[in-house]
Amino acid sequence: MPITILQPSLAPPPKPRHEDSHSDSEGGADLEGDIAMGRPAKRARTQDSSIMTPGEIITDDPQWMRGHGTYVIPGASSNTILSSVAGTLAKTNKLLSVRPLRARYTPEIGDLVVGRIVEVQAKRWRVDVGGTLLAQLPLSAINLPGGIQRRRTETDELQIRTFFSEGELLVAEVQQLYNDGAAVLHTRSLKYGKLRNGVFMSVTGTGGGGGGGVVRARRQAFTLDISGTDEVSGSEKIDVVLGVNGYIWISKHIEGEGAAAETSGPGITRIEESVGLNVYSSQNDIIPVDTMREIARVRGVITALVENGLRVDEEMVIKGYQEAVEMAKEERDSADTLWLGGERGKRLTKALVGR
Amino acid sequence: MPLDTSTYNLALLRVDGRRWNELRQQGNTKIQCIITGPNERDASKNTSSSASTAPTAGGAGATLAVSIMIAPFATVDRKRRGRNDKRVQEMQTTIACGLAAAVQGQAYGPRSTIHIALNVLSQDGSLLAGLINAASLALVDAGVPMTDYLVACTAGSTSSYAAADEAADPLLDLNTQEEQELPFLTLATLGATDKVVAMVCESRVQLTRLEGMMATAADGCKAARDFLDGVVRDKGELMVQEGAIGRGEVVSSMDLD
Repeated sequence: MPITILQPSLAPPPKPRHEDSHSDSEGGADLEGDIAMGRPAKRARTQDSSIMTPGEIITDDPQWMRGHGTYVIPGASSNTILSSVAGTLAKTNKLLSVRPLRARYTPEIGDLVVGRIVEVQAKRWRVDVGGTLLAQLPLSAINLPGGIQRRRTETDELQIRTFFSEGELLVAEVQQLYNDGAAVLHTRSLKYGKLRNGVFMSVTGTGGGGGGGVVRARRQAFTLDISGTDEVSGSEKIDVVLGVNGYIWISKHIEGEGAAAETSGPGITRIEESVGLNVYSSQNDIIPVDTMREIARVRGVITALVENGLRVDEEMVIKGYQEAVEMAKEERDSADTLWLGGERGKRLTKALVGR
Repeated sequence: MPLDTSTYNLALLRVDGRRWNELRQQGNTKIQCIITGPNERDASKNTSSSASTAPTAGGAGATLAVSIMIAPFATVDRKRRGRNDKRVQEMQTTIACGLAAAVQGQAYGPRSTIHIALNVLSQDGSLLAGLINAASLALVDAGVPMTDYLVACTAGSTSSYAAADEAADPLLDLNTQEEQELPFLTLATLGATDKVVAMVCESRVQLTRLEGMMATAADGCKAARDFLDGVVRDKGELMVQEGAIGRGEVVSSMDLD
């Protein structure tokens, strides 16, 4: 394969930050108090900037209430509210909170998450969902193969690794939250369960914190039709699961399976027939090379979205994928049309935002 | 013994605005800080078994685990330091305890740990101060709630006892050469306040000099805080401009009616 060497793009010129105050050869400080050390004119910037930083006073008006990302000095009689994270201010009626620029995922009930099993215990699994604490998935919160409805017995406990074992990926919903913020998951739906036939990727998903990445949306999982690209033979589809926690799963679509399966499918009464015995299979199906390539393309699109600071949701991924296919058609003769980093990623996102 | 190499100006601190791993330069000291977590991993199980830990919020919050790695190529004499170097361990403990005072760990719960891995790539004085500042900036960038930036600075004294030179200037932010010749201390304060969180002084110094050195170092801390604050603000404004996050609202008394 020929190697292309790309011209490195110039870094943007650094902004002049300090008026040159470092040349004061007179000396840094003296005890009498007059200090010349590049401090003045610094406070003025808080006025025009909407960014809050730790330790910054937001307000001392007693009418406001403090929310997330803020604190009051304990023991002090004043009502001064200070920021504890770097971010932007948000007001909800009288509640002041600071949305951090970047933060770890904080689970909320109803979130669709992709997780990885890190530990198997007697009656539950411990799942890494990218949060501050591991989430747990009780044995009673999964569907048994064949959709049998019954109590979980000791036999099931002994066979717990046949359902999920360490390192396996799953898609689940947050069912419950503990006081310390730890989540309890469930997979009691045909939409949830073990993941296979695809590729995992992790992006900055803050789940509402702000700062790009996966955002909470109406639909977190969807099916992408790749038969539109004339390189693909037959009608293949790709499932994309955008976990709110920033974990993403892109896989081959199998009819009647996967998180993107329509809810209009079989009802709870017919669950027995529809839940196959292979839902806990760890064996991949045979995936056509074309499908594999398109999965890689979707992955490239999402990486490009994140690198260029755009949000990742259904609309952006579908649009971005279409754009990437167009780009690939234009450059049919070039060796590698899958790679969407650097200049190509910038072009892609420019085309997306320009629309 | 006045040093002709002495310079008073606060070192030009530079920050490469990267995520999770921040590069920071204080003098010619280069430090890379990588924050992992907060997540629920046992601190002792991790590879950094020599990390120093400190619980935040009186044991009710997340634990901080600090580990320092000094690269062999960081110093001129290319000396390899063992993992259990007592000086490194003391610095780890100082940083862990100091940051524990600033981090509001109760948001995460006592079972989670924040791992702070500090890599010294180039060492030219003010090592402890640089480490503290780098860790502080990385924590803010990672979105960990803190009461304020924990900032540190060094200060030294040029006056010797024999000279009895009362008017001699204290020095701010020493480099290696100065550190080897002059008495100095490292002072860490909570933001722009004069609340001293940590103070380390390993050399013999005249008691009358101490106050001046501390005042100088505290002023250096304020300047360092402003610098770190500026970096964070610039990055935040960039993110707002790019549309990655929504524009913030402004509190004004006009809203209240």
